[in-house]
Amino acid sequence: MNISSEDIRLSYDTAEILKGVSLQAGNKEFVGLIGPNGSGKSTLLKCMYRVLSPGGGCVYLDGAPLNSLSYKESARRMAVVAQHNYYNFDFSVREVVLMGRSPHKRAMERDNARDYAIVEEALEKVGMSAFADRNFSTLSGGEQQRVILARALAQQTPCLILDEPTNHLDITHQLQLLRIVKTLDTTVIAAIHDLNIAAMFCDRIYVLERGKIAGQGAPGDVLTREMIQKIYHVDSEIVKDSRGRTHILFI
Amino acid sequence: MEKQEVSNKKTDVFHTSLFVLVLILLAAGLVLSVMAAITFGNADISLKDVYSVVGCEVLKMKRFSEFSEGSVHDVVWLIRFPRVVLALAVGMGLSVCGVVMQAIVKNPLADPYILGVSSGASLGATFAIMLGVGSFLGGNFVGIMAFVGAMITSFLVMAIANMGGRANAGKLILAGTAVSSVCSAFSSFIIFIVNDNNATAEVMRWTMGSLSGADWARAAVILPVVLVCTLIFWTQYRSLNLMLLGDEVSITLGTNLHKNRTVYLILSSVIVGAAVYAAGMIGFVGLVIPHVIRILFGTDHKRLIPLSALLGSIFLIWADVASRILLKNAEMPIGILVSLIGAPCFIYLLVKRSYGFGGGRS
Repeated sequence: MNISSEDIRLSYDTAEILKGVSLQAGNKEFVGLIGPNGSGKSTLLKCMYRVLSPGGGCVYLDGAPLNSLSYKESARRMAVVAQHNYYNFDFSVREVVLMGRSPHKRAMERDNARDYAIVEEALEKVGMSAFADRNFSTLSGGEQQRVILARALAQQTPCLILDEPTNHLDITHQLQLLRIVKTLDTTVIAAIHDLNIAAMFCDRIYVLERGKIAGQGAPGDVLTREMIQKIYHVDSEIVKDSRGRTHILFI
Repeated sequence: MEKQEVSNKKTDVFHTSLFVLVLILLAAGLVLSVMAAITFGNADISLKDVYSVVGCEVLKMKRFSEFSEGSVHDVVWLIRFPRVVLALAVGMGLSVCGVVMQAIVKNPLADPYILGVSSGASLGATFAIMLGVGSFLGGNFVGIMAFVGAMITSFLVMAIANMGGRANAGKLILAGTAVSSVCSAFSSFIIFIVNDNNATAEVMRWTMGSLSGADWARAAVILPVVLVCTLIFWTQYRSLNLMLLGDEVSITLGTNLHKNRTVYLILSSVIVGAAVYAAGMIGFVGLVIPHVIRILFGTDHKRLIPLSALLGSIFLIWADVASRILLKNAEMPIGILVSLIGAPCFIYLLVKRSYGFGGGRS
């Protein structure tokens, strides 16, 4: 599925956060969004998953303007894993994942055997089957994010948005989560902080700087010394390893 | 892996059948509680007579027709029975309201009493009783005014708590306390100014909470209202679950809760209005009962709502029985009794860190 944004603008009071951002992700493409803190990555993604409504511009899912879809319809096409997931209440892991089925449910419809099967399958994909009856709040950060990913999988959407899902996770769990995502057969748009991780997983990268796209392309083309100097104001050295992958060393 | 799945399915079936079993047990317990509660009271009436009256009125058995009138009939059927029914309705209503308000504010410390909604209902009722405000609304105008008061305060508390950024538990409870104080002060002011002894006694009865004014006319209005609202909330379990995850997550899961929240606030105001109209201010039921159910059965509203409704009714029926028999020749206001149990529980919940007061560990 294609997802694209066209000329997205958003201002808080007088501060313009997004100054006309257009990007697009093709079918089954893994698109990364990088940029310094405050560049508008999260704001842009929030516009795409409808938590914020942009002041101008439009988001399209397979050509359909997002505003023409109901929330249920958009939640059947696009699932989200975001950074903050803390609950005051104790849900079991299975209950949390089961909520991923709600966009597929009519008002009074009950959860059926198929929903439960989908939940089990999603838990298995993220390697959390053994935790199904555990209390969500007793899990570690990495485990919680995997459960949230399972919830997104239970939505069975052709598109997945990752809003810095690996914040607060150590390198093991960052890699683990993104590797699971990489095996999925879906379009992915992910805001990623760590440039090396972005280089590892993305098919294409957009660079966001102060609410504008400052560059885009394959990781090897975008992640250059000059670009990193310009955007992040740090010196770096770009190394290709034996497999031809890009690594960034900060000096 | 397959084994894992089978065992998961098994635990699922186990959970579901356990839930159904407990639901049936609680429903049976509720019926038994009603039947037992009508045997308690000041008048000395034998069990046989009590149940003969029930047999006559409920089952319409010809055999007991001699009990269709007389003082025994009146005490059991016109005084005790409606009172127990009202206790059932109020207990159910307050518990369900507690559950819903906790979902709305995403914090297990919410309760109609703590958020000031009960005080608002009480103020509305005071206006009606003391000043006759709203008397054009018909026979149940006191109840309607209580509902109006409850609704205004619930929206007011939400609005105050949302000022200057998102509401958190601390702000909500402060806003609730503040609004509650204002309402109580106003009620007292009206009582003081009007200075009508009968009405003052009536309002006093309300602020302390009592079911002693129960009659069938009131029970016949309040029980259906509470039952219907409870059933509506039960059908909303999915949205209530999503509410706990927050607005952003619910949007990504396909539900915009903005409208739901308003509707739920109005519905719960209906319940609180009805409960306050029936029994005055009874605090903490909506706090303690859902908490107990959550410990035992988790947070899923599919289970939480019906179980809390049943346990709440049973609890209030017995609290009312206790308030009738604890003191000799006098009745203890049930509100006082319940607060004596509920307030310490509230303090306990407040202190327990794991409950993330105001956003907690995040």
